[in-house]
Amino acid sequence: MTIEETIAKYKEDFDLFPDPNDKLEYIFDLGKKHTTLPEEDKNDNTYVNGCASDAWLVGECKDGLLVLRGEGTSEMAKGMLTLLIDIFGNKTPEDILGFDPAKLQDMGIVELLSPVRQQSLEAFLKMVYGYAHKCKEQGA
Amino acid sequence: MSTTMKIENLQAKIGDKQILKGLNLELEPGKVHAIMGPNGAGKSTLSKAIVGHYDIEILGGDITYKGKSILEMEAEERALEGVFLSFQHPVEIPGVNNAYFLRTALNAKLKHEGKDELNAAEFLREMKKHLEMLGMKSDMISRSLNEGFSGGEKKRNEILQMLILEPEVIILDEIDSGLDIDALRAVSEGINKMKDGKRTFLVITHYSRILDYIEPDYIHVLKDGKVIKTAGPELVPYLEEHGYDGIEED
Repeated sequence: MTIEETIAKYKEDFDLFPDPNDKLEYIFDLGKKHTTLPEEDKNDNTYVNGCASDAWLVGECKDGLLVLRGEGTSEMAKGMLTLLIDIFGNKTPEDILGFDPAKLQDMGIVELLSPVRQQSLEAFLKMVYGYAHKCKEQGA
Repeated sequence: MSTTMKIENLQAKIGDKQILKGLNLELEPGKVHAIMGPNGAGKSTLSKAIVGHYDIEILGGDITYKGKSILEMEAEERALEGVFLSFQHPVEIPGVNNAYFLRTALNAKLKHEGKDELNAAEFLREMKKHLEMLGMKSDMISRSLNEGFSGGEKKRNEILQMLILEPEVIILDEIDSGLDIDALRAVSEGINKMKDGKRTFLVITHYSRILDYIEPDYIHVLKDGKVIKTAGPELVPYLEEHGYDGIEED
């Protein structure tokens, strides 16, 4: 599934909930599938700076794809990490770098996030794009 | 004859009054068993005894399901094992969102079966298909459970629960009471959708009209706490004509 297709899938999901609170609750729900990281992967290099709660994101280049793993401490961070890793994980760096993050707004949830949470999203995206750049350089 | 559920010499009381007085009944897998009988015969008591309702005190006999006795099991354990009762008078529970209620029940069952639980979106997709078939408005899932629902809406909501939980033994206690023709048709359609040759139905009713839609395999006449006659669907027109008094005990 491409990044755009995954976003379209989530837009369909979020559209099922007319109430904004239910949309946010669905993000929490997604967090139930959240995985954790081994302690050695939680360090300064993987720490998501600017996230409202503690969160770590590991990006590794495998067979030309960026593989993402993460761990969040709050319900919102767990949900958002699960959602975003599903969108950006296992994609080529070219696909990620060629994607305009403004399109994430198509899901209809970005505008529902508080300014602090929007800042967390930006911090996460910054790390993803950083990992994608490194992955591209490794492949070059 | 293979048996899904076997009820042997069941005796039960509610309060000080003994209602079931040595009831015997065998439910075959995949069959629709209709229980008919006059008021006070023990029809609803039987359904409550099967699901483990707290009103009921068992005095003797046994109920075995898939070969083991369920009398010592709590109501929720029986439900998790696939026994379902649609209530004659579904209760209203203000403050409990219908969708949350249904999803929690479904996920408890999925967990019990070692399956993945459904997230809110997966659940809503599943539920919307059923809502359409049952002619239920989509706002009914976001309202409090049964609160302010009409009689017909409550019964449709019971059938919605049944469709979502996909039980193996389905007890419908007067599911047809208070239904107009459209609601009766929608409810029957929901029930018929569940007929797959494996699930077993126990349809408790006073009237034959729902049996025109559901087509029972067996009719059991219950009188004074016992099954006094078991026959095929040909018994229905006889009962319509002669009433319960005209039935001779087997």
